Amino acid sequence: MLKMTHLSKVYRTEVVETYALRDFNIDVKEGEFVAVTGPSGSGKTTFLTIAGLLETFSGGEYHLDGIEVSNLNDNARSKIRNEKIGFIFQAFNLIPDLNVFDNIEVPLRYRGMKAAERKQRIMESLERVGLASRAKHYPAELSGGQQQRVAIARALAGSPRLLLADEPTGNLDTQMARSVLELLEDIHREGATIVMVTHDPELAARAQRNVHIIDGQVVDLAEDPRFHPAQVATGEARG
Amino acid sequence: MFAYYFQLGLRSLRRNPALTALMVMAIGFGVAASMITWSVFRAVSGDPIPGKSGQLYTVLIDNRGPQYNDKGEPPEALTYTDATALVAARKAAHQTLLFEVAPSVLPEGNQSLPFIAHGYATNTDFFGMFEVPFEFGGAWRASDDEGRAAVAVISHALNQQLFNGADSVGREITMDRHTYRIVGVTAHWDPKPRFYDLFSGNAFGDPVQVYLPFARAVDVEMDTAGRNNCGSNVDFGSGRDAWLHGECVWVPMWVELADQPAANAYRDFLTHYAAEQQRAGRFHWAPNVRLRDVNNWLDYKQVVPPESRISLMVALGFFVICLVNTIGLLLAKFMRRAAEIGVRRALGAPRGEIYRQFLIEAATVGLAGGVLGLLLTALGMFGVGLLFEPQIARLAHLDASLVAMTLLVAVVATVLAAFYPTWRAAKVQPAWQLKSN
Amino acid sequence: MHIKPILAAMRHHKAGTVLIALQIALTLAIVCNALFIIQQRIERMARPSGLDETNLFVIRSDWADKSDPQRIDAQMRADLIALRQLGSVQDAAPINSFPLLGSGWDNFIKLQPDQVKMTTDSAIFFSDEHALAALGTRLIAGRNFTASEVGAQQPRDAMHSAQVIISKDLAHRLYPDGSALGKTIYVSMGRRPSTVIGITDTLQAHMTGSWAGPYAYNAVLVPAQLLNDYTYYLVRARPGQLDAAMRDAPKALFAQSRMRIIDHKDGVMTFAQVRQRAYGPDRGMAILMGIISVVLLAITAAGIVGLTSFWVGQRRKQIGVRRALGATRGDILSYFLTENLLIGIGGVLAGVVLAFGINLWMVSQFETARLSLAYVASGVVLLLLLGQGAVLAPAVRASHVPPVEATRSV
Repeated sequence: MLKMTHLSKVYRTEVVETYALRDFNIDVKEGEFVAVTGPSGSGKTTFLTIAGLLETFSGGEYHLDGIEVSNLNDNARSKIRNEKIGFIFQAFNLIPDLNVFDNIEVPLRYRGMKAAERKQRIMESLERVGLASRAKHYPAELSGGQQQRVAIARALAGSPRLLLADEPTGNLDTQMARSVLELLEDIHREGATIVMVTHDPELAARAQRNVHIIDGQVVDLAEDPRFHPAQVATGEARG
Repeated sequence: MFAYYFQLGLRSLRRNPALTALMVMAIGFGVAASMITWSVFRAVSGDPIPGKSGQLYTVLIDNRGPQYNDKGEPPEALTYTDATALVAARKAAHQTLLFEVAPSVLPEGNQSLPFIAHGYATNTDFFGMFEVPFEFGGAWRASDDEGRAAVAVISHALNQQLFNGADSVGREITMDRHTYRIVGVTAHWDPKPRFYDLFSGNAFGDPVQVYLPFARAVDVEMDTAGRNNCGSNVDFGSGRDAWLHGECVWVPMWVELADQPAANAYRDFLTHYAAEQQRAGRFHWAPNVRLRDVNNWLDYKQVVPPESRISLMVALGFFVICLVNTIGLLLAKFMRRAAEIGVRRALGAPRGEIYRQFLIEAATVGLAGGVLGLLLTALGMFGVGLLFEPQIARLAHLDASLVAMTLLVAVVATVLAAFYPTWRAAKVQPAWQLKSN
Repeated sequence: MHIKPILAAMRHHKAGTVLIALQIALTLAIVCNALFIIQQRIERMARPSGLDETNLFVIRSDWADKSDPQRIDAQMRADLIALRQLGSVQDAAPINSFPLLGSGWDNFIKLQPDQVKMTTDSAIFFSDEHALAALGTRLIAGRNFTASEVGAQQPRDAMHSAQVIISKDLAHRLYPDGSALGKTIYVSMGRRPSTVIGITDTLQAHMTGSWAGPYAYNAVLVPAQLLNDYTYYLVRARPGQLDAAMRDAPKALFAQSRMRIIDHKDGVMTFAQVRQRAYGPDRGMAILMGIISVVLLAITAAGIVGLTSFWVGQRRKQIGVRRALGATRGDILSYFLTENLLIGIGGVLAGVVLAFGINLWMVSQFETARLSLAYVASGVVLLLLLGQGAVLAPAVRASHVPPVEATRSV
């Protein structure tokens, strides 16, 4: 589904060159639930933004759902983002001026869907996350957990093939975090591919597979002598 | 998507009322100022007789000579001698002479007081050439001109005043103690500016009330109420005859010539006539003639009052400043929503959609500004009387085309002002916006 | 104040800087010129006419029967006797036109009979020996006309101008050395000589157009009644009796003869009304320029407030950081004030150039005067003060941003 080979991302200023990602390789198969972990500044957010076609990269290859994306223009990238990818951000990023219904509607509008179909999908998504009664509320009127669930509903409404989540529980208290994570697991069970970036090892443990990034490169924790965590947390096998 | 963006635009207006009010007022005032001054300018500078302005020419012959000329230009009307001679030569399909008169009119049944009417002594062709519409009857006949008949044409307004609007053809009107038979009543006709008599300098004066044959007016010694330019270094003799046959100019002349070849032919005729005068010893200079069509004549006489031009320039400058102001405020308004823009881009909006959204949002602001501008314009129309002479102020009025233009200008200008802010908005990098710390 | 870092920081929001500077520049240019126009128009309107305006009114009498000039002459003389007999009237005189009317006779004035080009242009007023008393203009040299010198002038006849009285300005224009009295001049556009028997104090001509600027105070009084289709009567009421005179005079005239027409709208006009009509466009222009200037300044100020508030919002974190590092409220305040001042200075510099540019264009197109430096200077000060005043509120708000903002994330 998501395959990067020898990917690199360089930030160049007049004085210095910074490699956010260097010779980065990752292969996420369809239906996998992968957690990408790493310390701050390791490049995991950069990885996510490139994966979501929000940024371009400097070298290497990136195949998304079989399509090589480096030569796509802005319109093509936008279309793929709209149809194939669902984003879930740490800071919810709901548009404050719009109510819940209208927020979820945004990506559907860009797809050119008819009003009836839009309504159906929105209500279905809201049911899915358990917020159907809040369709007319504004983000400011919802709790943190509810806002995140709305964001998830928005991500789901378009039936994306790939869900990209960036610290989805970062701003939530434990209880809300738990319910969001359960929701993600449900969605995964239904066949979605999820790539989740987090620095929380507990969260990472709930995923099927962990990918660890340090200094812009993938590192195999078990093998790299630099890292000998006391215990590598493993989640229960999910099938 | 248009309706969607329009909705978003309206909503965002409500979001920040202070900013919205500021933008709407700036645009509203700018548009109003421009539209008011434009409507007056349009009224005084338009073509008063479109469709025919290219075929009507005013005739001028230099009877002063280069020594006494004003920058080589002939005086702005003809002498009685030249005017009648040119008309008698019949070199144009239609031709008319004219001069302004102010006869005292005595209404029938002597209860009312006499009053001074505003009129012109003309020829029968006048009405056809200038496309004067008639309510009753028509112009007098050519034979009336030659026969110096005591006939007259009155205006709709005068007809109302004297005969209560009835068909007064055949009835009589007393002017300067002579009676005249009415042969026609014109419908309301008041071209502004009064292009056919710019010589007298009253281009925006009160409407004309009565017309009578030129030759008749001269016969009864009706004096010109218009301008009489006798030039310098002229010692004319005494008395009316000397004046009539002297070199004072007071008779504007108009001819109708179908096309350019006809105009050239007529110009040749004028040159020939002036050459004859030179040969006869009356002129001591080479022929110096002018044949100007309506628009050229309006240009030459600079009919548009400078006040009108200055106000238009200032109003436009004012509008430009309002737009610069709007660019800044739109920039602030749009960039404040950088996060939203980032989200929309992340959710799959291509740059084109961002452009569309924000340009339409700007158009919404423009529309609101246009509506305010319309109200202010309507208000300002009353105030126009303060600035311009009442005669010109009368010309500024709010019609359908001005309303449409006001709204259009407001929307288009705001959208133009929005191009830079929208470009900035569309450049927002979704990744940068969404990265948290 | 450290200007360099402020300038450096401005490079990060070039667009906003340019927009504010541009607005200031354009506003300065227009407001300077607008105020200048106002001053010019006010000056024009304030020009003295040289008459006793408070007590003066004019009546226009159109003749219903224009056939017999002798009768018109006699009728006018009788009219005047009747007017002068009225208790509320101090004096009355016939005249063909009068200062500020906007129409009338104007002739070229020559010093030699065969002169080709005129020496100057002047208004020609036909009146009798009561003219000066009626106008309220005093004689500063020479003598008034005698009753016997006053003739009857038919418009198409040679001018009865053997003796004339001229205005002070005309005298000075013709004979700058001051020796006009007694000299011979040519006022009839022909070869007939006229002797200057008297010189009046300031007397304005009837021409009000801008073309007549140089001739605005040239007037020649010719002793004759102009026998035209109509005449004006200058009537000077006794002090405090203007209303009474304005009622009595037309009645007295109609009592003399009903064969006349006095328009009910503008047949009788006080001089205040004459002045109002003459300067209508000037007044209107001054008002328009005033309104536009005020609104422009308001809009520019509001624009500065709006844009600066936005910047302050964008830079909250930065301001917090500065405060956390030890900047005081005053430091933040003066930062924003200085930044705004620098932008303002840039704007007014461009604006000054633009102001002069616009003025030069107007001089070439409309024959207005050149903008004086004093106006531009006051405009500069006005706009800088306006800009600083406008940025005060957002700057104060910025200075209140607490240092803890430094730690807050987006």
